[in-house]
Amino acid sequence: MDLRGALRRTAMTRPAVLAVTLPGATELRLEAEAEVRRRGWPVVDAPAAADLLVVCGDPASDDTPWLDGIERSMPEPALRIVAGESGQLADALDTARRDLIDKAATRRAAEVAEVAHVADVSDEPGGHEHGDHEGHGDGHDHTMGEVAGLPMAERGDDRDELRLDRLHVPIGPASSDWPAGLVLRLTLQGDVVQGVEVDHLPLPPSPRLPFWDEPWLRAAHGDEVSRGSAVRRRCAAHLDSAGRLLAVVGWDDVAARCRRLRDEVLSGASRESIGGDLRRTVRRVERSRPLRWSIAGLGELPADRARAAGVSGPALAADGDAHDRLLKWLHEVERGLEGLDDARPLAPDDRTGPRGRLDGPQPPSRALLDILPELLTGAEFACARIIVASLDPDLDELALAPVSGAAHA
Amino acid sequence: MPDAAPLWATVVLPVALAVAAVVAAGFDAMLSGSAERGPAGSVREAGLRALAPLREALRLLVQRPRRTTAADRLLGRLGVVLVPVAAVLAGAVLPWGFRAVSDPSVGIVWFNAMEALAWAAVWLAGWGPNSALSLVGGYRFLAQGLAYELPHMFAITTAALGAESLRVGDVVAAQDGLWFVVWMPAAFVVYLLSALAMSFWGPFEHPVSRDAAGGAAAELAGVDRLVFLGGRWLLLVVTAGFSVPLFLGGGHGPLLPGWAWTLVKTVAVLALLVAGRRALPVLRMERYMEVAWMVLVPLTLLQALFVAVVVLNR
Repeated sequence: MDLRGALRRTAMTRPAVLAVTLPGATELRLEAEAEVRRRGWPVVDAPAAADLLVVCGDPASDDTPWLDGIERSMPEPALRIVAGESGQLADALDTARRDLIDKAATRRAAEVAEVAHVADVSDEPGGHEHGDHEGHGDGHDHTMGEVAGLPMAERGDDRDELRLDRLHVPIGPASSDWPAGLVLRLTLQGDVVQGVEVDHLPLPPSPRLPFWDEPWLRAAHGDEVSRGSAVRRRCAAHLDSAGRLLAVVGWDDVAARCRRLRDEVLSGASRESIGGDLRRTVRRVERSRPLRWSIAGLGELPADRARAAGVSGPALAADGDAHDRLLKWLHEVERGLEGLDDARPLAPDDRTGPRGRLDGPQPPSRALLDILPELLTGAEFACARIIVASLDPDLDELALAPVSGAAHA
Repeated sequence: MPDAAPLWATVVLPVALAVAAVVAAGFDAMLSGSAERGPAGSVREAGLRALAPLREALRLLVQRPRRTTAADRLLGRLGVVLVPVAAVLAGAVLPWGFRAVSDPSVGIVWFNAMEALAWAAVWLAGWGPNSALSLVGGYRFLAQGLAYELPHMFAITTAALGAESLRVGDVVAAQDGLWFVVWMPAAFVVYLLSALAMSFWGPFEHPVSRDAAGGAAAELAGVDRLVFLGGRWLLLVVTAGFSVPLFLGGGHGPLLPGWAWTLVKTVAVLALLVAGRRALPVLRMERYMEVAWMVLVPLTLLQALFVAVVVLNR
């Protein structure tokens, strides 16, 4: 019998992690990703597969219901930890692992008594998959009615004017490879997006500047910031976005390389040590014809339309589809290699952050969010995810508007 | 040439397939590990990375299964279990050297019929949990089936045509001297693509891909998840392994005995698929369908025509 106990304990030595990032916690997310990767723990993308829920950032009270929902829909032994401050993550993960091992080893009595979980879907904005519902072709056209407490799907005309079931599916904020805090309320027919409502988690006022825009904002406030550190931040931001897009496209190998490079750039690796690896990765993406063929034409955003919508930065300069935006990011990263160790101070009037101009009337990510509905409507679910990832809005910036105004004055 | 295999082979088959699946998954985990964390510094580290699939299996065994609201448990479970069952049943006609567990006169049809069970399996597993993203995964596999199945059937029909028999043993016997891959290269390549597609793995893992939180597997936990995703590796091993008797001469080869040649060739095909996966993103059927029907179907038909003409004139 003790063999079983030993096996249970061994099983949880590397728990599977589902990481959820709250707005404003980009730095914590990067720390968590690096730490989990260093330990070799598996990272999963659905509550059903996870043992350990790692929440990056301080949850507001509004966040509790949907986080609870995710935790409830994880199979036992399940645990949630909150990584609220940087530097404490390693300890928190150690403790969590110990608790999970204890839980796994002692749960035998409960196993018999308790039946499997039933996910509660009543009140969460983004418990992103469980318990959604589909109507069965029952020959009736009515939209009301309930099955097991869940409303039946309603019907509506699809793009070929067939009356088909409509599902309302919220995506985010706990999806993997997804902008932190973003919630898209999709109306799906089959897997075609028929309607989109852009929403986000509450953005608590934070004393911290948005991580990706920090060097430029600090320079604008009069702090001394070196050009090299700004270039590093820009390169890392683009590598992060590129890694995300490549992960959504399903090219895990290159996505993992982009993320590793991102962490090396941020941790101060020299140009010589990463230059070769980085150029090889960029060439690999550039030359991949299957990738081009797979995502070309998705999320087409010509420059004039982008400008009219207030988009600046790489999404404007790319003047094209998801593939163009990916290459734009990677080329900017490659160009940035030269300036990684530039010690000259950043000019205080340089306000071009990774996602666009920080001194405009609205933060650059606001414009990226505003054009989402027109780009997503009519796309298939998979394409919609690719389009979102190819724009990669940063919701941390939304709390920024007054800051840049003040800096301007 | 084919002899009846002894009875114990029936018991050994699932075990052998499982071992092959673990080895293949371990190799895959090693390659993924070096992309994520850099090259392994030591042999020990490399070994630890290769053990990841076994650790993962143990972890899933300890997890408690869960279910979702208003789930169709019967059909969902059926879908999950069908994946490994289909793989093992298809493996029954897979010859080791020159012997298979069973070598019926319609072996190739049997193999294809068992693979077609995967259609039902993934769709049912996606349907079962009553969850939107699972269902999206299920839809994706139906589209995938429509795209790969026709070229796939023409590809294996071509091999049967070359041997003038649907018996797998006869197909192997017909390749004594000249492997089919030499004069049916298009059919071989299409077969490899469809092997990946029907085991919904690698570039064809869209039905269970990350962007839909695991698609058809999104709601599976614990043993269910292990059986489904482990069954997927079994399916990959079997379909990759079947390319050996179909196109690569089965157990034929100099010096080594038949079973060893089968092993070497199977390992080579699996290694090619697992390593080649690194070069490709996931293919979405919305784009792949056009290639499948406009390029691969005519290509395999031309290939079959060529083989038919050769066979008629021999």
